[in-house]
Amino acid sequence: MSESAYPIAIFFAAVFTNNILLSNYLGMCSFLSVSRELKTSFGLGVAVIFVMTSTSMLNWVVYYKVLQPLGLEYLRFIVFIIVIAAFVQLVEMIIERVSEVLYAALGIFLPLITVNCAILGVSLFMVIREYTFVESITFGLGSGIGWFLAILAMAGIRQKLKRARIPHGLEGAGITLIITGMMALAFMGFSGMLQIG
Amino acid sequence: MFSALMISVGAVTGISALLAVLMVIADATIGNYGEVKITINGDHEYEVKGGKPLLGTLMEQEIFIPSACGGRGSCGLCKVKVKEGAGQFLPTELPWLSDEEKENNIRLSCQLKVKNDMSIEIPEELFNVKEFQAKIAKVRDLTHDIKEVTMELADPPEINMVAGQFVQLRIPEYELTDEPVYRAYSVASNPSDTKHVELEIRLVPNGIATTYVHNYLKEGDDIIFNGPYGDFFLRDTEREIICIAGGSGMAPIKSILLNMAERGIDRRVRYFFGARSKKDLFLVDEMRRLEQELPNFKFIPALSNPEEEDEWEGETGLITDIVASHMETGDNTEAYLCGSPGMIDACVKVLSEKGVPDELIYYDKFG
Amino acid sequence: MKQSPQLQQVQENMRPGVLTLHGFLGSDKRDLIEILEEDEAEVRRMGTSHRAIADKMAYLRDRGKDGLGEFIDVDPHFEVRVDSVRGGIPSPFGGPGLIPKTNTTVRNTALQREIVYTDINIHLIGEHGFYEGKGSLFRMEPHELVEILEVETEQQQTELPSNR
Repeated sequence: MSESAYPIAIFFAAVFTNNILLSNYLGMCSFLSVSRELKTSFGLGVAVIFVMTSTSMLNWVVYYKVLQPLGLEYLRFIVFIIVIAAFVQLVEMIIERVSEVLYAALGIFLPLITVNCAILGVSLFMVIREYTFVESITFGLGSGIGWFLAILAMAGIRQKLKRARIPHGLEGAGITLIITGMMALAFMGFSGMLQIG
Repeated sequence: MFSALMISVGAVTGISALLAVLMVIADATIGNYGEVKITINGDHEYEVKGGKPLLGTLMEQEIFIPSACGGRGSCGLCKVKVKEGAGQFLPTELPWLSDEEKENNIRLSCQLKVKNDMSIEIPEELFNVKEFQAKIAKVRDLTHDIKEVTMELADPPEINMVAGQFVQLRIPEYELTDEPVYRAYSVASNPSDTKHVELEIRLVPNGIATTYVHNYLKEGDDIIFNGPYGDFFLRDTEREIICIAGGSGMAPIKSILLNMAERGIDRRVRYFFGARSKKDLFLVDEMRRLEQELPNFKFIPALSNPEEEDEWEGETGLITDIVASHMETGDNTEAYLCGSPGMIDACVKVLSEKGVPDELIYYDKFG
Repeated sequence: MKQSPQLQQVQENMRPGVLTLHGFLGSDKRDLIEILEEDEAEVRRMGTSHRAIADKMAYLRDRGKDGLGEFIDVDPHFEVRVDSVRGGIPSPFGGPGLIPKTNTTVRNTALQREIVYTDINIHLIGEHGFYEGKGSLFRMEPHELVEILEVETEQQQTELPSNR
């Protein structure tokens, strides 16, 4: 694969074959609870896409321009989290100022996203796999879209589940996790397509 | 080794400090809306701090827009016309606004945040609505579940209102609650007594306000309320008057009757009071006294389920049936109703069948 | 299990003293989402839906209104009394509209059982599948509602279809 096509390959891999939620099982807790409702899932998914892309870019800059020159790569866990938290706070304030409507739709999800491990996971993977700046953008975007698709699919499935008879002990988290596993298996079918990392 | 430790601590501290400073700056600039100016009805100007919903901001300026849900966007009463300075319509406002209202820039003031200078329009009567500090002068049991509460005004010392209006009582935090709550109650006293406000409050199980009033409120306590509100009042015509109200619904009717007696208004008026059994009747003596003062007034209590020991000899049955049997015609008649929505609906039906036009049937809409 | 921020806000609204004196959660220590899931599962197991239960509650209340505060007979063997007080309460789930403070008492004379519910219950059950927390003043047990109000249920499939 040529160098210039690599970011695109990363993008598609992040959405399908190496889906951050279905392959790496990151970002589970808000996935399980919010996927109960279709509308909130949509809102949270969009917010995740935005935050994932932005923070992977930000953290790339912080890692390669600040931490690495100072030889402080081992601090990345703490520093990435601090950057993510500060960024989300800032974005929340800006959105509230600029558009009340957008704030009503997405603003409430932002604090929930700060502790979403998939966000931190994306930044850490980007470091492990030594992505360039462009690659980290496409990776963040792809992972976000992948997470978004997964939660949207799960929300749709849970709507259908409302009519189904589920064994008593498996209600709620139980059946949702089983279905997530089945979705993960389904997504594995994409694996012949592309491989990264 | 030591220097490596210092560098790492320094780096983390530095980055955190940098971001913290960024946050503080952002909070002071982006998050801070500063002072803005609200112009009301073209001539009243207020300098206020931005960032909060319009309803609360106006309340701080002692302008009380009516609200029954405490600013949650559930009652739709706090509508205000915003000529300039509002942003887009919020999804929480839309269910309450008709297309016409949207075109006229009517907004739900509990949802709209004050972010820049605004120019709004409110009905002039709302300027008469004030917050009053008062003392509980008297608490009296009218029935097993209705208390009469008389408040003596302290600051401001007098209230300027019309018979039939209501006030919003502020219930402070107590027992299980941790924020104050406002509930509306009709005023039962004669408005010419500008120093006192009397309320009839019925105990509602699980009710925040009524539980406080029945279990905690004592004579001598301080209390706060705002008002007066409402467009339930006696219309100045020559028509006959029919009043239908049971339980604590008597309050505005009593206020109207006392006022009529004082002013010597001569119109024919009949007051149908519906109750279950004798123990739900109250202030009968007061009503009989009013019958003496107003020769053209008749008080007609009706019990729907009198007990044996009541030895009731008055009207018996459902209030709607009693009203129907007493009314020959609905011509030249206005009706004033006060009670639960179910009772009002049933009475409106009977009155309409007798020929009272819809626009001459009045009732308080906060019920 | 974590719940969405909206549901978190709803749970805050259900605490005592916010909308009603005792709130809607009673002594239930669980998160709102768990309460909702468990009641939803029970309703499903009984072969009915929140909407069906709420509709029956509303139907009996509407027929009972004609009694104007007294018991009135409703076919086939119910006695219903509806009484209300002035004022309304916003829904803890938010949204437009104040819910009237109306109490409906239903006596099933065939089963000799009685149940009392409010308009708020009808709204919470029909729109949100919420039967209030255990220990709450107006906790509605789904199976009690179904039995006393005689809500129609679908026949539950108890055996797997056999393969020919």
